[in-house]
Amino acid sequence: MDETVAEYIRRTVLKIPRDEIKAMLQKWGFLSEAQLETVNFHQIKEKISQDVVQLCEENSADIKQAAVLDIIYNHIYPNKRVWSVYQMNKRGEETEVFELTDFKTKFKRLLRSALKNVTISFREYEDNAIWIRIAWGTPYTKPNQYKTSYAVYHSQTPYVFISASVLKSNLPLLCQALLFASNYHDIREMELRSHSLNALKDIVFKRYSQVIFLCFLFSSLLVSPAVDLRIVEENRSEKERIERLTREAFGVGPQPKLEFAQYKLETMFKSDPKMDVLDEKEPFRCLVKFSSPHLLESLKSLAPAGMADAPLSPLLTCIPQKARNYFKIREKKGSLPGSFVSP
Amino acid sequence: GVFAHLELLEAQAYKAAVKREEMEQQEEKLAGLRARVQELRLQRDDLRAKLDLQQKQEGVVSGPAQPSPRAVVEWKIKSVKSMLQVFYLTGISGKLTKRGVCFCISTAYEGTYLDSYHLDLLTKPEVQIYRHSVPIFIPLQQIAKKYLQTDIRRFLALLSDHLNAYVGRRYQADQLQEHFSDQIEGTLQRNSLCNLLVFNYNVSSTSKTFPFHARLLYRDLCCSLPTEVIVSCTLDAPAALAETAAAHMDLFRRMALHKAFLSFRSNAGESMD
Repeated sequence: MDETVAEYIRRTVLKIPRDEIKAMLQKWGFLSEAQLETVNFHQIKEKISQDVVQLCEENSADIKQAAVLDIIYNHIYPNKRVWSVYQMNKRGEETEVFELTDFKTKFKRLLRSALKNVTISFREYEDNAIWIRIAWGTPYTKPNQYKTSYAVYHSQTPYVFISASVLKSNLPLLCQALLFASNYHDIREMELRSHSLNALKDIVFKRYSQVIFLCFLFSSLLVSPAVDLRIVEENRSEKERIERLTREAFGVGPQPKLEFAQYKLETMFKSDPKMDVLDEKEPFRCLVKFSSPHLLESLKSLAPAGMADAPLSPLLTCIPQKARNYFKIREKKGSLPGSFVSP
Repeated sequence: GVFAHLELLEAQAYKAAVKREEMEQQEEKLAGLRARVQELRLQRDDLRAKLDLQQKQEGVVSGPAQPSPRAVVEWKIKSVKSMLQVFYLTGISGKLTKRGVCFCISTAYEGTYLDSYHLDLLTKPEVQIYRHSVPIFIPLQQIAKKYLQTDIRRFLALLSDHLNAYVGRRYQADQLQEHFSDQIEGTLQRNSLCNLLVFNYNVSSTSKTFPFHARLLYRDLCCSLPTEVIVSCTLDAPAALAETAAAHMDLFRRMALHKAFLSFRSNAGESMD
């Protein structure tokens, strides 16, 4: 077995939390149950990974199998990477007939025609998600297994989720391969990024669950939390107004998990003319970034917690509907000063 | 005079007598009522005792008049469930909302109820889709562009056809994967819409080879039966197998996939060996 492959497998196993190693190796299926029984999964990870590499040596693992283990790891822990969403467009409205083998062949063909040194691996999941792992090399060097890009594509949808590696220069080639394989004709990057792949899927696939619709339809049947009768609400009408506005803005149900929203301001600084600050008529460049472990839930709780006035600015509440969390705000051209969000 | 005095006394005596009589009557009445009260009290105590006994026998604890919060929740869940039941049975149902209409399309395939999908429509300034739970690979925008503004009934009917056909195709593929996995090589190759299925199979579940290669294409998205079927064998296969392949092609075009496989089992003894 190649030394680089051995090292790669060793490092991949080290990434996995100790309690999950056995399960992941079983999912991988490369080592037999009998072989796995010989490993003590209670020792320190260093030892476990060495034992696993030893077993892989016995089975003569190559980079293809090692790549599959990497896909499995990233599928279970997708939140370790930052994902961007790309939208594809196609001419015409014929019924899409997506054939998996066709897709894979075309994808590999286009990539390999441009770059000989690539490792391409595929893995399909039950929700029709196709995970593609690409390790990039150059015309003169072998693929670097530690600098990988991932693309997740659900067949017959116009969206691809890409976690590019450091090598951004390979992105156009990846996009071309995706277009060619999926029979779409152009692709653009959306202003939507997050660590949570599922949140991105929820937003662009507009996955509203049935429960949310039921709550919406039968709002009278919503169960209100138990109220202690000894507490008297002084501002009941105001509280209900805030709750209603929050429900209208954010809907019912859990919000998709985003970690940040970024607003790039290119607006004019508006000051009192008498104060004579910033006389030059140049836009005041400013970047506002909101970060949170769960941005949309925290925005949703701002008004009910009394930290912001309801209704919240539409710039904050439009994030899931507009499917973006990167905004550019420019001056609105015209008689009224104001701002508008660039498309 | 004496007579006048006597008359006065007589009148006084008469008044006193009347008063006395009245009082006596009142006292009689009162006594009567008191007796009645006693009677009713006895009756009440008697009934109470009977009730207590009955309740103790049934094990029911006489609770307060207000239902418990838990009972309220359970009642609410029951109402929602029965509402859902009505929705399932009607296929397409709608409810007016503050800003428009909310539709529920429930799907079924050959007697089995499958998923429900929801559409939240706004009616002002024009009819538009606000929220929905239709899967992204169903051509909702295409159908909406054609019919949403002009003929909402047709829009809903067409969308319902797409959704019912999709769940029907998916159901057949799932049934095949679940119940006939030993006759299929590996897993079924499919896509999101389940409109292309490719697999290698055998008619018997004991053999280790899968001589038949099937490719089912469902070009009509409103149909749960394929529009094109190709069943082929390996080139070196005996002629008998080629005949069977041709027969299967016809079968798959006419019959639901899992039912076709079910029919293989009943014919197993006859044709294959």
